[in-house]
Amino acid sequence: MKRLILAMIAACLALLPVMSSAGGFDPAEVAGTTLNVYNWGEYVDMEVIRDFEKEYNVRVNYKTFESNEYLWLQLQSEDAWDVVVPSDYMIERLIAAKKLQPIDKNIVDNLDQLAEGVKNQAYDPDNTYSVPYFWQTMGIVYDTTKIPEEEMEAQGWNAFQNEAYAGHAYMYDSSRDAFMIAEKALGYSANTTDENEINAAYEWLRNMHRTLKPSYVTDEVIDSMAEGLKWMALVYSGDAAYILGENEDMSYCVPSQGTNIAVDAMVIPANAKNPKLANLFIRYMLDYEASKANSLEVGYASANARVLEELSGAGGEYEDNAAYLPRSGYELDEVYVDLPADWQSRQPDLWTKVMAE
Amino acid sequence: MKSFVRMSYPYLLWIALFIVAPMIMILLYAVTRSGSGTITFSFTLDNFGRFLSDTTFLKVLWTSLRIALLTTVFCILIGYPAALFIANLPEKRQTLMVLLLTLPMWINMLLKTYAWRGILMNFDLESEIKVFIGMVYDFLPYMILQIHTAIAKLDRNLIVASYDLGANRWKTFLKVTLPLSVPGIISGITLVFLPAVSSFVIPKLLGGGNYVLIGNLIETYFLVAGDWNFGSAISLIMALIIIASMYLTKRLDRSAVEE
Repeated sequence: MKRLILAMIAACLALLPVMSSAGGFDPAEVAGTTLNVYNWGEYVDMEVIRDFEKEYNVRVNYKTFESNEYLWLQLQSEDAWDVVVPSDYMIERLIAAKKLQPIDKNIVDNLDQLAEGVKNQAYDPDNTYSVPYFWQTMGIVYDTTKIPEEEMEAQGWNAFQNEAYAGHAYMYDSSRDAFMIAEKALGYSANTTDENEINAAYEWLRNMHRTLKPSYVTDEVIDSMAEGLKWMALVYSGDAAYILGENEDMSYCVPSQGTNIAVDAMVIPANAKNPKLANLFIRYMLDYEASKANSLEVGYASANARVLEELSGAGGEYEDNAAYLPRSGYELDEVYVDLPADWQSRQPDLWTKVMAE
Repeated sequence: MKSFVRMSYPYLLWIALFIVAPMIMILLYAVTRSGSGTITFSFTLDNFGRFLSDTTFLKVLWTSLRIALLTTVFCILIGYPAALFIANLPEKRQTLMVLLLTLPMWINMLLKTYAWRGILMNFDLESEIKVFIGMVYDFLPYMILQIHTAIAKLDRNLIVASYDLGANRWKTFLKVTLPLSVPGIISGITLVFLPAVSSFVIPKLLGGGNYVLIGNLIETYFLVAGDWNFGSAISLIMALIIIASMYLTKRLDRSAVEE
């Protein structure tokens, strides 16, 4: 009798993974519920969201935000989001503030699909709280008919100090990224809090403002560069991939002085109302099908290793696109760490002064 | 009569909750400094000192005021003749013209500004001129409507009397029409200047990223720097300037009426 029971239990256990497609629990449990997703603007193929809704018979309330800092403020309020997609340093801050709950790895059982370049980053070493979504480097999109490739590669970030390009450059209006290029150009870490280094970076940026006279922009840079309105622009590689696809005169330079590697990852806030469905969603988004559709739609590098290889490899959609595949394993490239509170407000303060001068 | 007074209670509650309470919070933030972690209430005027002692911030303030001022002047220069023209049309045509004038106001301001961006992209103009075109375009209807109302209300007999007493058209305009339409110009100024001072979307989109205005500053300190205290101080300085200019226009209005 005992044996029989044991055998039955064993049989049940063996059947379990087959019965529930999402290891650990029955998706029927969450049918009819709503999932609140908060993601960056223009960062998804909405078709994927609709397919997810259909497959699990749920409703996705999909909203977008524009900056990590704004997201941070939103997460201080009582509103409960189930899945949000902050960047690396903001994830670090959210973990420290105990605002996140661990990913349920019984449900999200496909973490082995993550690309080497994005998994186990310092901000979350075992991907306990976060599952990468897209990743990117920062670099310079430039018009090869105006600036020859060798000239741009030789200058790197110092192109932003070159008087010869005055009035022909877009600068991305983001204090953290602005200081990053200044610090990299000067040979410092992008995470420095050294007073002298910050001051030197500030002077570098002021000099850029005076000599290059750039236009300070945000997302409008994408269309403007696709139309070729200026010679060069600081952009994220995902946006660069789109620009290069639209305008064949454009090329992408990731300076040899080093750059920022940014990872945007899916996390579940501690106060999420529907954590089970949230885990299910994360699993779905990481899978090959959804990852591929999203990467094809927005041009950012997938966190899914197979998609990344397929799209950037021979015959892939982004085979000849210099911007799609982020540089990885380069010594001088850094992921942002969360700066101490006083620096968080000091950088935007200094940056505003640069732009307003 | 009493029941009518009571009907205003919801509105008063609305004002208290959504205008007065936030203003008090802004004031509190502006005169305190944030401690580590939680807000510790220690009084300070540093936030104001920081703004007023920094030439960069003052420059931003000046740019905002200058753009708003020039926008208002251009709105009057273009709006007045237009309003005069409309007011002199037959009644039915006037209604049509006013309708046409308000038509663009039904469209979202952001959409209109993006449209202008597309149009102006093809012209090699100074970015400041592009900003003015966008600002004047957006605020002009408010100015024209106010002036038109003032002129349309004007007693025609006064103009007839002026001609009767030997004044020519030009003199009649200067001595009768213009002074009597001043209240319209003044309410037009209020409706154009005040929103223009704090507007930052149009300069941002049409200025090609060459402008930092006071609205951008406030946005940066609240949303990016997370420095609510300083952001509140800037907002308060802004509010004080707006209150001062409202007071000044009111004074102008009164002296115009007394004349």
